[in-house]
Amino acid sequence: MNTALSTTVAYARLEALRTLRDQGFVISTVGIPVLMYLLFTNLGGQHDPAARTAAMVGMAAYGALGAAVSLGGAVAEDRSTGWLRQLRITPMSPRRVVAGRALTGAVVVLPSIGAVLLAGGLLNGVRMPPLQWAATAVALWLGSLPFTLLGLGNGYRLAPQTTGAVNVACTLGLAVVGGLWFPVALFPDWLAAVSAWTPTRRFAELGTAFAEGHTPTAAAVPLLAAWAAVFGTYAAVSYRRSARTV
Amino acid sequence: MTQEPAAVFEAVTKTYGPVRAADGVDLAVRRGETLALLGRNGAGKSTALGLLLGLDTPDSGRVSLLGGTPGQAVRAGRVGAMLQEGRAVPRVTVRELVGFVARTYPRPMPVADALALAGLTALADRRVGRLSGGQAQRVRFAVALAGAPELVVLDEPTVALDVAARGAFWEAMRGYARRGGTALFSTHHLEEADSFADRIVVLDGGRVVADGTPEELRRTTGGALVAVDLAGAPAAFLSGLPGVTEVEIRGDRARLRTDDPDATVRALAARDAIRGLEVAPPALADVFLGLTRADGTARNPEANR
Repeated sequence: MNTALSTTVAYARLEALRTLRDQGFVISTVGIPVLMYLLFTNLGGQHDPAARTAAMVGMAAYGALGAAVSLGGAVAEDRSTGWLRQLRITPMSPRRVVAGRALTGAVVVLPSIGAVLLAGGLLNGVRMPPLQWAATAVALWLGSLPFTLLGLGNGYRLAPQTTGAVNVACTLGLAVVGGLWFPVALFPDWLAAVSAWTPTRRFAELGTAFAEGHTPTAAAVPLLAAWAAVFGTYAAVSYRRSARTV
Repeated sequence: MTQEPAAVFEAVTKTYGPVRAADGVDLAVRRGETLALLGRNGAGKSTALGLLLGLDTPDSGRVSLLGGTPGQAVRAGRVGAMLQEGRAVPRVTVRELVGFVARTYPRPMPVADALALAGLTALADRRVGRLSGGQAQRVRFAVALAGAPELVVLDEPTVALDVAARGAFWEAMRGYARRGGTALFSTHHLEEADSFADRIVVLDGGRVVADGTPEELRRTTGGALVAVDLAGAPAAFLSGLPGVTEVEIRGDRARLRTDDPDATVRALAARDAIRGLEVAPPALADVFLGLTRADGTARNPEANR
């Protein structure tokens, strides 16, 4: 393997380890989504298998969203401790540091997705063919990329204290409006209209489509890609601004 | 290896708002030397080191490092540094952190060696964030040396260390220097600069106000301290003696600062005033105080070589 590439991977590994050792991270991105999934689907005696599957995808998406956005808190922390500054005087280029961070995002969303899907399959009796399970997991994994970029943008732009609050607002706002917690069918019309444009709605739609074995709507992938471009630009601009001060 | 200087500052200026943190700095660091950047807080030491490492760019002038730009030297893995600000990296062990930094370099030293050099072998599996201040400082030292760089830059390296840890730290630095490494460290401890540097550069108000070996700096101020007992004699004549620039009477003892200790002592002998004679070179602290002022303006820029 090329050295620069293996350095990036080593960096992503180090940061992923650091993130997964954070108990707050594990509780909020694995524990809470699983708990909420089990509560929402088992209280009130809801036994409709389709609803259980949709809720499973929604909560897995919510966990992955939280994990991806929390990257911002980690970056803000690394700016304030001086770790990013220390990295700047190693041979690793700043671009590799950002690439490594994005790669970290791709790793730390996996426990949320895995845990909620496992809860669905083992505890809630969600049944689908193995290939469909795999496709759902992969769709959720890839679909979380825009949120990783959003997290990076927040982390490079905001002060650590602000980042925490903004991350929570982003996660909860996008989760609720995107219909990850409650089905969009329960929304008033105006909220449903807003919801259609959110990245989270399309993210969940991608997962649900694979779980239900049909193709996503024509709008889903382009809209998610457009959001990835917006958040990617946000991350790049924030990073350039902070590079002068880190 | 070529013998171009390890680092060069040419007429470097850097301003932060109203503060001239570097005000025309000229400096060449030779290969293999251990150089101390000495100055009060706010004298411009950290700014100079930041410019040297390419963390900042000068407003005017030029900084070169190992024959290229700071960025090139850093990317090539020829520089290691220990920055002053910064808290411990949370949720990572000493070995993981030092091992990771080492592998970003093209020819690092074995991780076990870096840990041993910094006295961290027994702490290798502890979390960095749970170490004491002194231990965390040693981790930053190991991080600076892990890549086996040609030049190591240390900003206030011993600030949180106790006496024993300081000794161990300088022992490790001597080992690094013996292998031909160039070291540049900043400090506001005179004794440290005096004991461990081949050369001292005094910064004040963003300017180099003195540059030389510790002995040369002592000579710059010229002169010495001459002390005698007065034995009840009046002290008025002392300020008129040849060479004397300052007289201080403490109880029955007179302490004379003089530009020409030989002439002063001869004149004291001629007046039969020698009782309990003591002649001493100026303490480096006096040199330092003579070169810098609390308001940050240089009093004696001519001392610049």
